[in-house]
Amino acid sequence: MRNIKIEHISKSFSGELIIEDLSLTIPAGKFFALLGPSGSGKTTLLRLIGGFETPDTGRIFLGNDDITDKPINQRKINTVFQNYALFPHLNVYENVAYSQSIKGVPADTIREKVTRILKVVHLSAQIDKPVSQLSGGQQQRVAFARAIINEPDVLLLDEPLAALDFKLREKILIELIELQDKLKTTFVYVTHDQFEALTVADQMAIMNYDGQIEQIGTPKEIYEFPISTFVANFVGTTNIFKGSLRTVNGQHYIDIADMGLFQVDIPAQKDYLLTKKHEMFMSVRPEKFFISKKPVEGFANHIRGSVESIVYHGRSTQYNVRLKNGQLVQVFEQNEEHFPQEVIDYDNEVYLYWQKENVVVLER
Amino acid sequence: MKQIPHYQQVKPFFLGIPGFVWQVLFFYVPLLCIIGLSFSGATWLSNFAPFMRASYFTVIGRSLMLATLNATLCTLVAYPVAYFLAFRAGRMKMPLLFLVILPFWNNFLVHIYAWTFVLDHQGIVNTLLLKLNLIQTPIHFLNSFPAVVLMMVYFYMPFMILPLYAALERFDRRLIEASLDLGASWWQTMRHVLIPLSMSGIRTGFFLVFIPSFGEFIIPEFMGGNKNMYVGTVVSDFILGTQTVGQGAAFTIMSSCALIIAAGILYLVLSRTKCLVKG
Repeated sequence: MRNIKIEHISKSFSGELIIEDLSLTIPAGKFFALLGPSGSGKTTLLRLIGGFETPDTGRIFLGNDDITDKPINQRKINTVFQNYALFPHLNVYENVAYSQSIKGVPADTIREKVTRILKVVHLSAQIDKPVSQLSGGQQQRVAFARAIINEPDVLLLDEPLAALDFKLREKILIELIELQDKLKTTFVYVTHDQFEALTVADQMAIMNYDGQIEQIGTPKEIYEFPISTFVANFVGTTNIFKGSLRTVNGQHYIDIADMGLFQVDIPAQKDYLLTKKHEMFMSVRPEKFFISKKPVEGFANHIRGSVESIVYHGRSTQYNVRLKNGQLVQVFEQNEEHFPQEVIDYDNEVYLYWQKENVVVLER
Repeated sequence: MKQIPHYQQVKPFFLGIPGFVWQVLFFYVPLLCIIGLSFSGATWLSNFAPFMRASYFTVIGRSLMLATLNATLCTLVAYPVAYFLAFRAGRMKMPLLFLVILPFWNNFLVHIYAWTFVLDHQGIVNTLLLKLNLIQTPIHFLNSFPAVVLMMVYFYMPFMILPLYAALERFDRRLIEASLDLGASWWQTMRHVLIPLSMSGIRTGFFLVFIPSFGEFIIPEFMGGNKNMYVGTVVSDFILGTQTVGQGAAFTIMSSCALIIAAGILYLVLSRTKCLVKG
């Protein structure tokens, strides 16, 4: 298995710069997710890797091979398209067998390969059906089978679950993870859905609206230690507090106007923040708060507010709490008990507690 | 459930009346007249008798052959043109399409005369070839079967290009990308994906050329030196020439039957969309 190295790629369409000087290494054999909002250039980047577009500047490497100028059909890379792009005049067998019959593989080898692949994606019963008779989920599997039968080095997936309903999406996500584990092929999965990305990825990259990569890391790294408010807001939800960074008696605080000082930890690699004079952002995720009507001991920080709205999510309840300075804070509480000991209702005055370790201090 | 008021239910019918009347008046009524005329001889088949001989069957066969040849050549030449327009033309698409349609703005006879000047002994082609010393004496382009075919293809080309272009224009590009992605060459993609799936456009264009070409006789007359008879020539001779309308009508009916049978066969041939795939 070979990795993908993208070096200083730029791409414009009709004068509009989509991607500028982007460099990225996608590790071999891993499930890599490329996450970003619509218009961030993530699909363009995927199409550049597949060869459907050529970069204006920069090079793309597959292992040690420079594939920048190689046409689509000569790269050992296959794609699962967003709308599946199944050949409507061919049935399931013929679609999946396409790449093999093109190459001139003997008919019995093809039959054996196709039967095997269809079993892996649970489509053996549909082998002779015309593709128009399949459901969305089944078509997606055909598209997948058609791509992996070739045993490519890299499989590109362009928002493959976009057209499917939620339950089906969850199911297929798990299947994709298992397949990638079994095949050990490098998967590059493009999506705007952070839930999908967090679920499947071994490694992920977040792209912002300017076509640049904001952060690369494991899902956990990106979720717990985002490097910017963009990432913190895009992956999951968070509460951002603006304030100035102070140090008093060795302890760091974020000073929020009219609200007080809140303890924070600055890890060693973020020491440079202490030298900056401008305002900082404090990110506290909704699930990191403890909400209570009565005062409680044991937390480094607290703030008071009143419950403005309550949203029931089944597994959790979301409280939107209005602070004295007007800011609205989102709090998630897991519904651990059938009959909670303390019931929080509209307009209740509440305390929000959190630990300083659960805070991320951000520069931008 | 609320019943749709009666006048709403019949409204579509009323909207269709003008078109229906037109069709009846100018197509079905004349058709019935021709059929009636063909059987109007001394005995009901006597108008058909003169045509039951090899020479007339040859005429029908010749027209069929010309029509098939014309439609086939138009397809072969128009497909690359339509492909270029749909996939490669970019911003030049509209201007180039305009150029394809432009000949329609000119009178048909003007085109014929123009080609006559081009292909004449003293025309551009011969003058050029003589000047370049590629030939010693001028070539007889005119009054030959090749000239007829050339003019036919030239004239009927837009009828082929436009439906083909329409079919290719709305073709899902992703299917081409998918084929290439799976390792197919450009030509394999054409054979296995583009052509099979644009077959309906090819069929449309083919018949738009084939059917009218069958009745074509002006071009063979002008460009072919009037040596051979085509269906149109015969009909025109009998109806306009000798004024034996009943026999002209009979021959028309005979030729039309031959045309329908031939068209049916060709349609079946052009319907095997997958034929190119298993190979």
